[in-house]
Amino acid sequence: MKIILILTLLLFSLQDAHADAYCSLRDPVAQIQQLYPQKTTQLSIVKTVDSSTRKLVKLALPSNDLHFSELGQHTLYVAMKNTETLGYVHVRAEQSKWGLVEIIWALDKDLKIKDFTFQRCRSPQKKLLDNEYFKNVFIGKSYTELKTLLSSDGITANNILLDKAKDAPELASVVLRCALKTLLITDILWGEELKKFNP
Amino acid sequence: MRLFITIIILVSVPSYGDFSDNLRVSLDGSARLNKNIAADNTSRIYALGLDTHKVFSSTYGDVGYMVGQLYLTKLSNQTPFSSLFNSPDDKQFVIREAHLNYTAGPQWLPNIRLGHFTLPFGLEGSIDTNGRLLDYYHGKNLGTKLDWGLGFNKVLSQVEYEFSYTMGGKNEPKTVDSSYVFSGRIGSLSHYDFIIGLSFLDAKIDNIQRKRFAIDWQYYWQTWGFLGEIAFGKDDKLQKEWQEEKYSLLELNKTSINEQLKLYGQYIFTDREGESKNQQLINIGVSYQLDAKLELSLSSRQQLNTPESGKKQNLVRLQLRYRY
Repeated sequence: MKIILILTLLLFSLQDAHADAYCSLRDPVAQIQQLYPQKTTQLSIVKTVDSSTRKLVKLALPSNDLHFSELGQHTLYVAMKNTETLGYVHVRAEQSKWGLVEIIWALDKDLKIKDFTFQRCRSPQKKLLDNEYFKNVFIGKSYTELKTLLSSDGITANNILLDKAKDAPELASVVLRCALKTLLITDILWGEELKKFNP
Repeated sequence: MRLFITIIILVSVPSYGDFSDNLRVSLDGSARLNKNIAADNTSRIYALGLDTHKVFSSTYGDVGYMVGQLYLTKLSNQTPFSSLFNSPDDKQFVIREAHLNYTAGPQWLPNIRLGHFTLPFGLEGSIDTNGRLLDYYHGKNLGTKLDWGLGFNKVLSQVEYEFSYTMGGKNEPKTVDSSYVFSGRIGSLSHYDFIIGLSFLDAKIDNIQRKRFAIDWQYYWQTWGFLGEIAFGKDDKLQKEWQEEKYSLLELNKTSINEQLKLYGQYIFTDREGESKNQQLINIGVSYQLDAKLELSLSSRQQLNTPESGKKQNLVRLQLRYRY
């Protein structure tokens, strides 16, 4: 009887339970420091990526979908220097032929790319793209500006980006899709709440 | 009394707005079928529980996080059974991970973990195997996988470390017959493709004194992984009667590009002083994630050499797990 009572309470205590999301920062304290060396602390904001978010992504980026591990609860980190907001950090995973590629994105307060780093990437092409020459194509760009780098198939990067990607065209397209989904989902889910950090 | 406290906490959660901020809760249920061919025994293990993760924040940023995993676990004809249970058909509430990690200290200060957590040692210290058929045999090698106590951890620019002192009571937050566990691991960063770590353990659990040193590594190449752990040490089951022990585990694994299918094979070698034969085991496993919630796993364990008892281990397990 005691067990039934407790289990019933457990079930009723669930309000918005969802499967765990795979990708998150392995260690927020250290990894955010790499992207924002002057930060003193970070603030987590957890939101749920659900089927309605997935539909919006498919609508905005036809031919794209979210990997099943991308559904669930995800964290956006506000990088702070004392009480001053420096920017935001978000991790997203994108499927590739080398397995999931996890990229840590640093965004400025206007939701433009500030920097990025690979958290997990088992592609041999990684070393060709992990440099400022390639990253500079992304830095300072908004969702709308980055979308112009997508070719008409909606999946691959166009020649403007591929020219900077040397012999790593597949991974360059993965990074671009990941950037677009990151900016889009950040705006959809966190956009309203982030306004208080950028008055 | 414990029931009363549980009810109060559970009832208060939905109505306590601040607590539900940055709170992740999953209902986690699994049914496991075990066919012990060597012993001609079929058993089942059912588990239903909550897996929670909560980030605590103030207006100045994150303070730390909490992990809480409470499971009602029911055995059915399970022999041998864990010391957490009283009979082959027992049912108990089992606490898996349940700890707080304070992360808001200054740069030079390590994070402080308090509660019930996996001992920082070897592969198990950096790979979560709770609720899975995949296992790195912490419980068998160290006396327990999880224990109650205090730990210090930090990720630095090139290395990460965790050291802990726990009480040796395993599922209970208490010492039993002067039990204790000192353990620690220092290694390269765990999100890299090549990870190497060094671990130590000095413990007294269940009146057995154990000392261990280990090296572990993980190497990932595209969708392949090659993992290993080699440990040396000694056990003292009787007073002043130390027996040396060597243990090694090698694993090769392969993941599909969409991460739905995972395959692994393990070779485990154990050599104990005083036993006429070493022990060599092979584990082969596969898991398939049908969607974000449902996972099907199958594993088989075979002993390669015949032990003194004459019966080689031969175990097949099947598990269906649902997380909502």
